[in-house]
Amino acid sequence: MSEDYRSMWTDLGLDLVAHDALLSVLGQGYQDIYLSQKNRPEGMAYFDFVMSEVHGLRIKELLDEKAAGRKIVGSFCVFVPEELVLAANATLVGLCSGADFATEDVERLLPRNTCALIKSSFGFKLGKVCPYLESADMIVGENTCDGKKKAYESLGGLVNNLYVMDLPQVKSANGKALLKAEYQRFKAALEDLTGVAITKESLKDAIHTVNAKRAAIHRLSALRKADPAPISGLDALLANQVFFYDNPARFTESVNKICDELEKRIAAKQGVFPAKTPRILVSGCPQAVPNWKLPMIVEAAGAVIVGEESCVGERGTRHLTDASGETVEQMLDAIVDRHFQVDCAIFTPNPDRLEHIQQMVADYHADGVIHYGLQFCQPYLMESMPVEKALEDRQIPCLRIETDYSMEDVGQLKTRIEAFVEQLK
Amino acid sequence: MGQRYAGIDIGSRTIELVVVDETDAIIESQERDTGFDPMAEAKGMIEKVSFDRIMATGYGRNLFEISFDAMTVTEIKAHARGARALFPDIQAIIDIGGQDSKAIALFDNGRVKKFEMNDRCAAGTGKFLEIMARTLGFSIEDFGPEALLAENSLNISSMCTVFAESEVTSLIAKGENRREIALGLHASVIRRAAGMINRVSTDGEIAFTGGVANNPCMATLLSEKLGRPIRVPEHPQRIGALGAALLAREAD
Amino acid sequence: MQITPLLNDGYAGEPAKRVLNYVQDHRQAGDPVVGIYCGYAPIELIQAMGIVPAVLCAFSKVPIAAAETVLPANLCPLIKSSYGFIIEGTCPFYAMSQAVIAETTCDGKKKMFELIADIKPTHVMDLPQVPDEAEARSNWKQMIVKLQGFLETHFDRQADEEKIEASLQAANRKNALMRRIFDYAARVPSVLHWKEMYDLSFLAIAATGQEMVPLLEPLPDILEQRVREGFHVGPPKAPRVLVTGCPVGGDATKIFNTIEVAGGVVVAPDACTGMKAFMGEFAENSGDPIGAMAERYLKIPCACMTPNERRLTDLSAMIGHFKPDAVIDFVLQACHAYNVESFKIGRHVEEVHGLPFLKIETDYSDADTEQLRTRIEALFESI
Ligand code: SF4
Ligand code: SF4
Ligand code: SF4
Ligand code: SF4
Repeated sequence: MSEDYRSMWTDLGLDLVAHDALLSVLGQGYQDIYLSQKNRPEGMAYFDFVMSEVHGLRIKELLDEKAAGRKIVGSFCVFVPEELVLAANATLVGLCSGADFATEDVERLLPRNTCALIKSSFGFKLGKVCPYLESADMIVGENTCDGKKKAYESLGGLVNNLYVMDLPQVKSANGKALLKAEYQRFKAALEDLTGVAITKESLKDAIHTVNAKRAAIHRLSALRKADPAPISGLDALLANQVFFYDNPARFTESVNKICDELEKRIAAKQGVFPAKTPRILVSGCPQAVPNWKLPMIVEAAGAVIVGEESCVGERGTRHLTDASGETVEQMLDAIVDRHFQVDCAIFTPNPDRLEHIQQMVADYHADGVIHYGLQFCQPYLMESMPVEKALEDRQIPCLRIETDYSMEDVGQLKTRIEAFVEQLK
Repeated sequence: MGQRYAGIDIGSRTIELVVVDETDAIIESQERDTGFDPMAEAKGMIEKVSFDRIMATGYGRNLFEISFDAMTVTEIKAHARGARALFPDIQAIIDIGGQDSKAIALFDNGRVKKFEMNDRCAAGTGKFLEIMARTLGFSIEDFGPEALLAENSLNISSMCTVFAESEVTSLIAKGENRREIALGLHASVIRRAAGMINRVSTDGEIAFTGGVANNPCMATLLSEKLGRPIRVPEHPQRIGALGAALLAREAD
Repeated sequence: MQITPLLNDGYAGEPAKRVLNYVQDHRQAGDPVVGIYCGYAPIELIQAMGIVPAVLCAFSKVPIAAAETVLPANLCPLIKSSYGFIIEGTCPFYAMSQAVIAETTCDGKKKMFELIADIKPTHVMDLPQVPDEAEARSNWKQMIVKLQGFLETHFDRQADEEKIEASLQAANRKNALMRRIFDYAARVPSVLHWKEMYDLSFLAIAATGQEMVPLLEPLPDILEQRVREGFHVGPPKAPRVLVTGCPVGGDATKIFNTIEVAGGVVVAPDACTGMKAFMGEFAENSGDPIGAMAERYLKIPCACMTPNERRLTDLSAMIGHFKPDAVIDFVLQACHAYNVESFKIGRHVEEVHGLPFLKIETDYSDADTEQLRTRIEALFESI
């Protein structure tokens, strides 16, 4: 990458040596895992480019936006409504939490037995390697799981721009009222940050923009129903991951372009893997960039992933926001309604998630489900057993795995996943 | 001479090789330590036998696949196939090897219905028992028989190898009977194994495979704990290789 | 030295049996029983309605193996134990309870309640996580009102405002007496053993203010006598320890035992099973007793709350009062809330109070007692 990125990174306060190390691992990983795939859609070249510039050009764009007076908001959870952020003339970026970094420093602040996602977000901060985090004007934390909720108390001491949003834990009228009150507070905080009042027009535009991005992903997902699958699970996951970083309009356009290509493939009965390849639905914890461990193993084991029931995936994108409201208030209600449907395991009870998993199995013609749990993530691990049982009662094979970002257990996971694939054949 | 089919199970501690003929009868079997160069060991083993087709299983299967252009299958399926061949009525298999343990449930037609494996640590594996035997000053061969001689079992609460070791050391220091500690250790591994089996299968006969099945105390405790018939093959550590050999024959 | 025991009822050292007996008596007298798990269960309301709150078993390692066949291994032993007791049917309190009151505290418990909800009627109270949020008090009050409705329909018992107010006032007196008794541990040297505090707390959580007050009233005299006779717990110069963190009971009391074996004296067991339950006061005659209850309960400095600055202020007050030489933060393995918060507690104890601090993360097994002892002895060496 060019020199002006280096000065940009220095200006952002990154640790250049550590950052170089991260980029080289990331680059190598991408090469090995992504570029080595066969039969990739040509449109994926766009995502290859995005990934190669993920700390370069995209950051430069964000800094240019900042120079022009926009604000950058970073978030860790799909409960942070992008519609409000955009409407307040700010840009939302998801913060990386998909790789271990500066683990020793992290474990001075957080217990060793904290989930990898949380540790990773601390690692990127402590290791000073995340340009998104460093360029953000506001970092939004949310009271979801115990780990995150408590970790934000410590993160508050490391950054000076943390905003914490409370979230309900029960889907009741009270819960919804709480979410609405929180979104109202968040709206005020955003307006305060940007100095731009959210108007009926700006909010409507924002809803359309975000809906378009979601709709593009829906289109991509629908194409994955075909057999042979026109796109690998790895590539589809990447699109879902880039969803959180990219310029929304460009992302939408690029995904739609890939979809055009995939439609042709399907018409020609072409796929990335042969027809009748065992089809797997992944369900559970989010897989953030560059956490590609599971799909890498699954697809090397001779199966194809056809859907992700995950926040980096369909749980995060499936619902659109009703844009028909005539006032800010009405649209805010629509945003509340939309997000209140997210069936994250932090809710109790959470029966919708089970419904959705079964729905996805049927829609995507999955032969089996892999429940992906990050080690120490109690909400999803606690749900994994009831999910497994419910699926098996309906003769849908399910494999529960519990893992983290390290590569130590790859051998064991491979054996288990290969055996699971054998079971599906 | 008819066709011959080989199965090789390359585990982290030992490698087993089994050759069957067209009637599924075992005509050869070998075993040796994995050592530092598993492929060299494996090569040494296959050079001594003749076969028409070979299938590899075990954690070293992929290396073998590359080095010898063989077919591969996971340990799970190999054990399922091998154990069913010996015991047609089993509903499940518990396999406890050197570094891992697994529970496998079968459909009536012998296919794998569901399985579980231990997580990364050595808890509940042969390695655990080996370390504990050493801590108590028993040889691994005597560990089970000696434990069976105990009149009472001492409760060992820790499954983590490191903690269990210090727990055992402090029990020895307290002057507790070594056999009773040994029995307690066996019981703690069985608790874990039983939990695994119960999660995948709740009734019917069980085959007990893997090197740890050679330990008579384990088989006894397992059947007491589960109240289900336990079948232990003559060479429990060879079931994976046998299964692979049978699958090699069936792969057409 | 021969000392007069505080509760001379034949249940010395067996607090669970004493409470079981208490609950059974009430049950026989026709009172309904409801199971509770957490310090947020508004016991004064339950008692005002003539219902007995029974703290359900959660402190034994025995049922954990059974629980682990269903639950993930990386879960706090308190939750695994609770669940194990239920599926094995070995908790007598659960057997006597006609319903269970649950709260959305930590993730593990929240999800565990989902698993037991079909065994017995389980009423989940949606607990705010941010106690200082504008809506928190009214939300929590609503939850208490809903609980009242649930109990009314399930047990056909009522309580009007007057009864609830009386229950609060009696609880205030009970709690004040408990605190007065704890003061004897604040003396240097302490004349009150942790087992006595533990025994009393166990009973005082289940029993009403009206029942406890006569039982507690004579105790300060007994303790005064100990002072006069020069009795003290442990050697006079023994390191005084404040234990904060997760609830401690049953097999978890190994932490208290180990502190003693290492030569220390537990002067302040600050947890939901210890002093926490008796802190704070209900506003009396406020005209809104349920609101007063909501107010006081939200002041519990549980690590499930965020931010939980109150835990630091309360801890400082306790340190001032009980004059410990060291603070131990007791964290049950896989309890994220207390585990993550421990970092803040340690910094606070060391930086603000200049006291040695030790975080202990453990479960119910005995496997690590030797290691704990070494660590605690090393802590005492640093005093
Ligand atoms: S899984 Fe839950 S906490 Fe995580 S991003 Fe999704 S909604 Fe947020
Ligand atoms: S994966 Fe689980 S533990 Fe980790 S941040 Fe998400 S909800 Fe929390
Ligand atoms: S520590 Fe918190 S969750 Fe646990 S009993 Fe106390 S108040 Fe309830
Ligand atoms: S100790 Fe922690 S994890 Fe366990 S029940 Fe209490 S708050 Fe939850």
